[in-house]
Amino acid sequence: MTLPSCQRSRFGRSLILLLVVGLVLLVPLRSEAYAGPGAGFAVLSSFWTIFVAFLYSFYALVTWPLRQLLRIFRRRKAYGKAQVKRVVIVGFDGMDPELASRFMSEGKLPNLSKLRDSGTFRPLRTTFPAISPVAWSTFQTGVNPGKHNIYDFLARDLKNYLPFLSSAQISEPKRHLRIGKYSLPLGKSGVKGLRKGTPFWHWLGKAGVFCSVIRVPVTFPPEKFPGVLLSGMCVPDLKGSQGTFCFCTTRASSDKFREGGVRIPMERNGAGLHSYIPGPENPLGTGVDLRAEFRLRPDVGRGRARIEIDSETFTVKVGEYSEWIPVKFKAGMGFTARGICRFYLKEISPEVEVYVTPVNIDPAHPDLPISHPVTYSIYLAKLFGPYATLGLAEDTWALNEEVLDDQAFLAQCYGNHQDREHMFFDALEKTPQGLCACVFDTTDRVQHMFWRYLDKDHPAVRDVPQDQKPRVIQDLYDRMDTLIGRVMQQINTETLLLVISDHGFKSFNRCMNLNAWLHQNGYLVLKDGKSESGDWFEDVDWSRTRAYTMGLNGLYINVRGREREGIVEAGAEAEALKEELRGKLDGLVDPASGKVGISGMFDCDAVYAGPYVDNAPDLIVGYGEGFRASWDSVMGRVTTEIFEDNLKAWSGDHCVDPRLVPGVLFSNRKIAIEKPAIVDVAPTVMKLFGLELPSYFDGKPWAVAAAGGK
Amino acid sequence: MIASSNPSNLPLFLVLTISMVIGLLMVIVFRYTSDQKAIGRAKDRLKAHLLAVRLFQDQLPVVMRAYGKILRGTGSYLRLAFTPFLIAILPITFLIVQLDRYFGWVPLQPAQTFLVEARIEDPTALNDASLQLPPELSSSAPAVHIPTDREVVWRLVADRAGQFDIQIAAAGQTVSKQVMVAPGLARVSPLRLKGNFWERIFASGEPALADNSPVQSIEISYPPRVIGFAGMDWNWIVLFFLVSLIAGFIFKSALGIQV
Repeated sequence: MTLPSCQRSRFGRSLILLLVVGLVLLVPLRSEAYAGPGAGFAVLSSFWTIFVAFLYSFYALVTWPLRQLLRIFRRRKAYGKAQVKRVVIVGFDGMDPELASRFMSEGKLPNLSKLRDSGTFRPLRTTFPAISPVAWSTFQTGVNPGKHNIYDFLARDLKNYLPFLSSAQISEPKRHLRIGKYSLPLGKSGVKGLRKGTPFWHWLGKAGVFCSVIRVPVTFPPEKFPGVLLSGMCVPDLKGSQGTFCFCTTRASSDKFREGGVRIPMERNGAGLHSYIPGPENPLGTGVDLRAEFRLRPDVGRGRARIEIDSETFTVKVGEYSEWIPVKFKAGMGFTARGICRFYLKEISPEVEVYVTPVNIDPAHPDLPISHPVTYSIYLAKLFGPYATLGLAEDTWALNEEVLDDQAFLAQCYGNHQDREHMFFDALEKTPQGLCACVFDTTDRVQHMFWRYLDKDHPAVRDVPQDQKPRVIQDLYDRMDTLIGRVMQQINTETLLLVISDHGFKSFNRCMNLNAWLHQNGYLVLKDGKSESGDWFEDVDWSRTRAYTMGLNGLYINVRGREREGIVEAGAEAEALKEELRGKLDGLVDPASGKVGISGMFDCDAVYAGPYVDNAPDLIVGYGEGFRASWDSVMGRVTTEIFEDNLKAWSGDHCVDPRLVPGVLFSNRKIAIEKPAIVDVAPTVMKLFGLELPSYFDGKPWAVAAAGGK
Repeated sequence: MIASSNPSNLPLFLVLTISMVIGLLMVIVFRYTSDQKAIGRAKDRLKAHLLAVRLFQDQLPVVMRAYGKILRGTGSYLRLAFTPFLIAILPITFLIVQLDRYFGWVPLQPAQTFLVEARIEDPTALNDASLQLPPELSSSAPAVHIPTDREVVWRLVADRAGQFDIQIAAAGQTVSKQVMVAPGLARVSPLRLKGNFWERIFASGEPALADNSPVQSIEISYPPRVIGFAGMDWNWIVLFFLVSLIAGFIFKSALGIQV
């Protein structure tokens, strides 16, 4: 009998392997008991691993009866009256009910259709304003913004009219030791959460219900509770910003990006090039940003480049991303900031251009806590590899600034999404009983950036024939439907599945600069001789300004005694001004399009109630369908034009009249409520687990049918 | 068993130096003969499953599943480490054998008595076995015959340092055996054998006795070497193991090598 050559070679290798193993085992003298540190490490660490695992497991087993007793005791509270064994909440940020209905009516989205037919599908009322950090804060706390203190991504500093991140504050160490030119920090940076209220999983955890919470927005810094949590939207990058990409290029340009990125020159050095990634400010107080230098050697023939950074060397092709690469920013005196980023080789010839993602906090070595417990982010990184930790991980700015093209942006989005899916399905497996909640951001980012292809009249793609517009959003909904199909396969009738979104979406055709309107109508005054202002009210004359806007939907009265240079008396004068502004702005028509630019002006005293109402804007601006605040207006800039076409890729939005953009609610069970709201989710889940509801809750629990529909 | 420490620090110095060099070399060999990415992934997964046991400790089924994954992960990790282990084991083994000639035994000293044991093939030739010594060696006691073991034992002493050959005659043939008398570090072969290829490789530093030789083996009772280090007496292999392991650990971290 003859063997094929591949089998012969396999047989030969096996024979040699057996021979060597035989020699090792059959000649047992002392000298070969040890074969170098490699084998020594392998054997020692394997035994160590098994030993530690055994200790953990032994501990778990020995203490199990005691913990079981405690759980039984807690379960009397938690599960004693529970109607469900497990609640799974899948959050699709920005999933739109109208669009979902449309796709379902076209015969698409079979899994969501199944939920609609056998369970529930309703629009889900959102918050005022319909912005993710506001809505998801309400989702998790069960209260209106007046009680959780989040009204926008940004809040204003009353002392200087400058913005700050509304959800978290990162502070420098309080004490420093001065050594020459260095200022040595004594202690760690502090992170303080600014969202008030208690997430409902804290109540569940205290009652003995295990909770896995993945990437729910405004959960940074992570709070301690009996469960596991990975923070989501609002986690900063290593620079402390909400995402600053870096674009290294050999093309000379003095243009600056409007927001979200920096252009770094790339210099030729022989056959190679070198550049750097800007990092955080030197913690030793030198006032200089740290840098991570890298070298790039292009291989034009093969359309790729080799990049060396620290001890890492990798190759990346044109039009492709690298893996997540660890980067170190060395400050001196042993201080190092560690992060991870991905490189995208945009062009290699004749010029060289490399896009680098914002440097994310390394989940395996977090410089700031991004999970509870801290080991949870490490666990996920060890299990699945490095992943995006930045709150807004999908780099919409890079697409807006045309640093990335559509395909590169989508590749980034779906890469992050896939990582999130891995984490979610792991959490689902690890939470056979209790709460498993995960929010997917891809739906929001992709709709923001690709709505232009869905809207045949969008100014950003007027020149593109309708039949050549890619079906990005349709594909997005298909993917989310597939994800729900996988979830449905993994749950049984004892599990309640809720698929929710925080808001819907509308087209963003026209930008409105409300500061310009306020200026032209005498409410906001610029310094003499100025017709426009720089960012953050640079040339605003506060001594003559009565109202201003910053952020996405808030309008503020310049109140005396509240704002540093306020001139409007609190009380009757301020109330009268609010009424005057409401009267003039509500129903404001865009002269160019003839459409209503603002369809509702909402008095915050009427829509909010709670201890933090004083921090809220005075009015919430509800832009009409197709309109939104211009980026200039968001950043406190006064321009001459009030209305402009939106020519950016950022072409869909939800920062409009909240009544126009409800979210979605799908469930595998019947829910008897006509107009559910996102504020109801927390009380509903707590009630399903048999817990008493805190009296301060604003939401009302839904009547959820038992398994089988009763 | 005689156990004596060499007063000189040379063996200690050499063992430490060689251990560190071998530690470095082995991690480099490991680096280039192993799938570093796969080893990194396997180690990371192991750590993840360990963390899972801690993170989800209230959920016994999850803990048990994690423990099962740890066992499977350990198997995967050992399998990945096995290829470099196989590649390293042969050169390292032969290196250790050679080093053992120097560090395993202390050479004999002038005026120190020692035993020579010869095992004879044919028990009837036992009484005819005789020893012929060079002038520098002398017998300090009559030969002892042990018929049950087919052995003849002589007690000898050397006058001065040097490498000598002693001759043992039996059944009409004569075979020789090296005797090393030296004050410091020297290559020592305690045994001369016939046949037994693998045993000879590991235990003997001399050519094999002829197949038709009436003498099966000749052994000199060199005292084993004990190396004093850190207030303890060490067998050199144990010290080599520990020091090369520590050195390897340091070098692997410095060079970023996954082991």
